[in-house]
Amino acid sequence: MKFYSLFFLLFINSVVAQSKLPNLSISKLNNEKINLNETYNETDKIYVFSFWATWCAPCIEELNALNEVYDAWKKELSLEIIAVSTDDSRTQKRVKPLLNGKGWSFDVLLDTNQDLKRALGIINIPYTIVVKNGEIVHIQNGFTPGAEDELHTKLLEL
Amino acid sequence: MKKTILSLLILSGLSISAQEKKTGLLYGSFESNSQWYLNDKINDREIKHPEDPFRSNNYLQLNYNYSKWTAGVQLESYAPNALLNYNPKYDETNLGIYFLNYKADKIDVTAGHFYEQFGSGLILRTWEDRALGINNALRGGRIKYNPTDYLSLTGLYGRQRTGFDVANSDIFGFNTELNISSILKLEVSDLALGLSYVGRDEKTSINKPKFESLTNAFSGRVNFSHNSFYVSTEYAYKSEDAMIVNNKIDNNFIKPGNALLINFGYSQKNLGIDATLRRMVNMSFYSEREPDLYIENGGSTSYNFNDKIVNYLPALTKQHHFNLANIYVYQVQKIDIPDPAIAKIGEIGGQFDVFYNFEKGTDIGGKYGTKVTVNVANWYNLDGDYNYFPPSYDVKILASGKKYFSDYNIEITKKINDKLQGNFIYVNQYVNQKYLQGGSLVKTNIVAADATYKLNKTQSIRLQGEHMWADADKKNWAGATLEYYVNQKLSFYVWDMYNYGNDKVGEGKVHYYNLGGSYRKGASRVALNYGRQRGGLVCVGGVCRFVPESKGVSISLSTSF
Repeated sequence: MKFYSLFFLLFINSVVAQSKLPNLSISKLNNEKINLNETYNETDKIYVFSFWATWCAPCIEELNALNEVYDAWKKELSLEIIAVSTDDSRTQKRVKPLLNGKGWSFDVLLDTNQDLKRALGIINIPYTIVVKNGEIVHIQNGFTPGAEDELHTKLLEL
Repeated sequence: MKKTILSLLILSGLSISAQEKKTGLLYGSFESNSQWYLNDKINDREIKHPEDPFRSNNYLQLNYNYSKWTAGVQLESYAPNALLNYNPKYDETNLGIYFLNYKADKIDVTAGHFYEQFGSGLILRTWEDRALGINNALRGGRIKYNPTDYLSLTGLYGRQRTGFDVANSDIFGFNTELNISSILKLEVSDLALGLSYVGRDEKTSINKPKFESLTNAFSGRVNFSHNSFYVSTEYAYKSEDAMIVNNKIDNNFIKPGNALLINFGYSQKNLGIDATLRRMVNMSFYSEREPDLYIENGGSTSYNFNDKIVNYLPALTKQHHFNLANIYVYQVQKIDIPDPAIAKIGEIGGQFDVFYNFEKGTDIGGKYGTKVTVNVANWYNLDGDYNYFPPSYDVKILASGKKYFSDYNIEITKKINDKLQGNFIYVNQYVNQKYLQGGSLVKTNIVAADATYKLNKTQSIRLQGEHMWADADKKNWAGATLEYYVNQKLSFYVWDMYNYGNDKVGEGKVHYYNLGGSYRKGASRVALNYGRQRGGLVCVGGVCRFVPESKGVSISLSTSF
């Protein structure tokens, strides 16, 4: 039981803790490998990484919602939204056609064996992190209709 | 002793975290899934909870990064017992994963446990899937070297994790990826090549083996895209190795294996078309040839728990998000010759997808646009001449034998106004259970619809209705789900799957009801559930785990930091 209380202690303690964007290489949709820290490092620019998968309905809902407001947000903020697909090789081939079939305009990264997801300790998707100057400044875990408005309010505060 | 070490580790971790700027960065995650199993009575069937009714799976991952160095551990606790039907090797509390990694500009070196995938995983994939109880990480060493931005090389050696131990064999691997378009500075085209090798060396106790202890697997890949068109193909070959008959090595039945995967498609704004074809013969690849047998566990084997798998052979079908569409799921069949009439040596088939977005302002698109997805998947046993005594086979190059499974479906997503959004799906399935896991041939038709209504800026409700017509097995089902999002953090749900058509002797009509809620804040989530679990396959990524029928209260916690 002591073990669980320790886990619980850690759980409580960790709720407020946050970290940095990991120093990882990851593939873009065209097989090009990029380094996260070197690519998403423009000073004061806001990077929104949304973790999703082709089979995850709330993820698709979230990206549909973000896609609708993306142009408007870009006009008022220095911002980029990146959709990180956690699809493994079962469904990864569906990413590219789905992206266009949905009419999304995000850049997509392929986290095929979930290295980035693991490094960030992500258990469930959808999961969205907001990165500014290399630091993770906001986390949104899960998606409910209207959550994009709350995210927008948060982004304006950064 | 272990607990003391753990406490120290956590406490030191917390103090490190408090002063991260000077000393480095501590980060990690924690996940806990527990269930209190209850006794249940379904019609005349009594379902007794296991002797230990409280069961819990816990994972604590801690990483410490300083400059180019990262060290990590994953502690796992399955105490007092793991959730029902997990790999029996997950027992008690122990250190599951540990590693030390050095990462510089061009080089990345890991000692300890690591996860790796070559290509699509046809010859090597090590990964973790906690819902399925898979963690087949390799324990050893890996070097990744990228001399230029168009060439990457990986060399690795290790023993594969099984439970809290490692398998009794050595795995060697080498992989290279070459991005030709970067060399040629192609603008509109992409061309990339990949080449991999995996060796598994397992000594055998068989007298005068007719096979080598080292089994070699090779894979070659080409990815090409030009403007909106793309094509990729992967071929894998596994050298001659002993077949496993009735869970034992058959020294007189030695065969190689191979697989061919082809994917192509066309994709432009608002349209995506994709086709994936695959043919596989004898591609099961384990770090130990013979499975562990669990007599006390109803005669199951380590194969049933996806233990010691070296490669990844996913079912290439659509992963549905409606409950009833997940009752009959396909998974790639293990190599097996239960009788000459049902010889499972390989499969052949394909999957086609069309995604289309009717833009807003068009006739079908309406004010907000309409998204349509069509998916068609057909999978067959590979046709050939099969012999039972002595066992042998000769498969045909391109002939499909008995149909295993098909799934034809269309899904429409439409936003009706600012408040209401709807989703509709029709699915038609053909499930040859006699060939898959035993049972009858089932044909199903499923319709499901889902509507989300925004009550105000933060509150919304989601209502889902489903019906499945099935002509055999447990026959017809109806289902409904109601979800209420109180705000972005708190939500509640209730759902029921009603198997009202079940006329099997001793079974009868059954409700599988569940209710619960979840609370989320930042990176943390707590979820509570009470209900009755349908027995059957739980699948993630086309790999499945069998779960028995059960009733209980479950609680899940997860966080990252």
